[in-house]
Amino acid sequence: MSAETVTIIDDLGALLLFTMILILAAGQIYRAIYAVAAQSLLIAIAGAVLATATGNVDLWVIAGVTLAVKAIALPWVLHWVVRRMKVRREVESVIPVAATLALAVAIVVMSFHLSASLGTVRQAITGNALPVGIALTLLGVLVMATRKTALHQMVGLFASENGIFFTAMAVTQGMPLIIEIGVILDVILAALVMAIMVLRVRSTVDADIASLDRLRG
Amino acid sequence: MAETLLWVLPLVPAVTALAMLTTRSRRILSAIDVASSAVLVALTLLLAREVQAGGPRSLGVFRVDDLGLVFLLLLVVLTLAVSIYTVGWLGQAVAVGNMKAESLRSYFALVHAFVATMVVTVLADNLGVLWIAMEGTTITSAVLVGYHGHRHGLEAAWKYIIVTTIGISFGLFGTVLVYAAAADVMGGAGTMSWSAIMQVAPTLDPGIVRIGFIFVMIGYGTKAGLAPMHLWLPDAHSQAPTPVSALLSGVLIKCALLAIIRFQAIAAAACGPAFPAQVLLVFGLISVVVATPFILAQRDLKRLLGYHSVEHVGIVALGLGFGGTVGTYGALLHVVNHGITKALAFFAAGTAIARYGSRDMRAIRGLLAVAPIGATFLMLAALSLAGMPPFSIFVSELMVLRGGIGHGQWVAIAIFLVMVVVIFAGLLHHAGAMAFGEAPAAAGREPEAWSPLLAMLLLAAIMVLLGLTIPASFDALLQRATEVIVG
Repeated sequence: MSAETVTIIDDLGALLLFTMILILAAGQIYRAIYAVAAQSLLIAIAGAVLATATGNVDLWVIAGVTLAVKAIALPWVLHWVVRRMKVRREVESVIPVAATLALAVAIVVMSFHLSASLGTVRQAITGNALPVGIALTLLGVLVMATRKTALHQMVGLFASENGIFFTAMAVTQGMPLIIEIGVILDVILAALVMAIMVLRVRSTVDADIASLDRLRG
Repeated sequence: MAETLLWVLPLVPAVTALAMLTTRSRRILSAIDVASSAVLVALTLLLAREVQAGGPRSLGVFRVDDLGLVFLLLLVVLTLAVSIYTVGWLGQAVAVGNMKAESLRSYFALVHAFVATMVVTVLADNLGVLWIAMEGTTITSAVLVGYHGHRHGLEAAWKYIIVTTIGISFGLFGTVLVYAAAADVMGGAGTMSWSAIMQVAPTLDPGIVRIGFIFVMIGYGTKAGLAPMHLWLPDAHSQAPTPVSALLSGVLIKCALLAIIRFQAIAAAACGPAFPAQVLLVFGLISVVVATPFILAQRDLKRLLGYHSVEHVGIVALGLGFGGTVGTYGALLHVVNHGITKALAFFAAGTAIARYGSRDMRAIRGLLAVAPIGATFLMLAALSLAGMPPFSIFVSELMVLRGGIGHGQWVAIAIFLVMVVVIFAGLLHHAGAMAFGEAPAAAGREPEAWSPLLAMLLLAAIMVLLGLTIPASFDALLQRATEVIVG
């Protein structure tokens, strides 16, 4: 792996973390959707960079599929659901946004600290893709845990999965193509099922599915 | 022959799912359902004989060894029982309007798609395929959990799909990390095949495998219902249609345990057995402890059974954590025993709930008077779940305990024993109150339907048999499966 490739991947990693902060700080659901779309676009670019560097044709396919599905199709589905739901209110957060961001910083530092403790294996994964991947995955969970609207939780889920994809691409030889395609297919199916549930609850009880809380104890 | 069976097995429920979409007649749908499940059982027995004779077989991304076979047998037996149960359950559910007659085919199609994905998780050798199939089980079963379409069902389904999807994305991350470690050792194109990774497992970098195993443990642990990631489980188990509850509790969470066991074997070889054992012990103990107060204070019958599953998954994790031949053997036996018994309990609970029109245990009184056979099965299941000898769960809990004593894990044993005794008392109190006493006037007094009783009889027979004696061939299978894990 050439030094330039490593630098580009690290730069992309920094941009990925930046988009994650945009998602965490987003006041309106539209912004969060645009930020996760931008994040997926960066993942696709990372795939293309790694494909050029390693000459691995599979990575081109994965980059293309990521672009089509995660940067275009899924954000479009989310956007469509938002329009169908006709809500433009502010995002409700369980804890203040400032506290969320403080937690996010702690998570990023911890991720880098954790993977710095790994010696030899870091060669198996390009640049800082491992800590960035871990950080994105955990931050996605943070979004899901602190937001009470269904769409925001879906955005968190996609961001989380982006983190896994980033790390998976940067594993020296990349994951087997068929597995990556299978994973993306699962993500699409899950997103569709979730979208249907959200709309169904909206049409029957006029509430956000994530804010239902009758089942306890 | 055996190799052919490997791809035929997942294909049977998959094709059945499609076939279900071609008809609307309830009678035909039920007939296909039972027939397909029976074929699945027959093929699995055939495969078991082949494996017994010729050892593990593999074909592409699929592989069957003795370990997978234990889970596969549990899966197909419960699927058959669920199919038989569904015949009578459906009649009742359609009559009271819980299920709409015109949407039945999609229900059956989803159930078989769900079964197909679970068969793939059990047979998968490729860890990526294992993950994809596991996410597939989430998608198919989430729709089933919310199938009734009322707001509680949808709330449970949402919680289920969100919590488990995020959970198993951790599992995917763990899989990627283990794959990275393997690719590093193998050089060139690495492989995601479990059997291939196992061969190089002792040379994998322990640091990265350790982090990978923790991710996998959280990921598949969510799906297995281990506390504190169990939040979806009581909701999903209580809101799903009863046959689906039985499949979730009896089979699905066991499939996730199998995934954990696969990674445990890799981690034990790479970092030494102490590390994964410690992680399993911690999650096992948390699960047993967290479940207890919820079981005692519970009023909803199906939620009670759900929390009870959390406890028992915890016991399996403890058995695996204690390790050694005895602990691992006990854990595997417990997987089977709990699956059979819990499905029986859900069946009995489902019929009782339908009779009283309520899931609240305070409303269910005097079951023995209005439905003597069903009430007997409910009591049998409760006694067994509580850990009463001579039923099967007592035997496997004892083995897990012996595994712990053998390794001197006194603190864990003490906590485990206290919780089991408390739950024993709580469960028998709940069950006794439902079975005896005066039945309210509102309770249905129609005769008991034959098909649910037949399904319960099948499971109860297995439960009693495994309590009294473990058949030699099954014992041999469990021992070979234990060897796969312990090495």
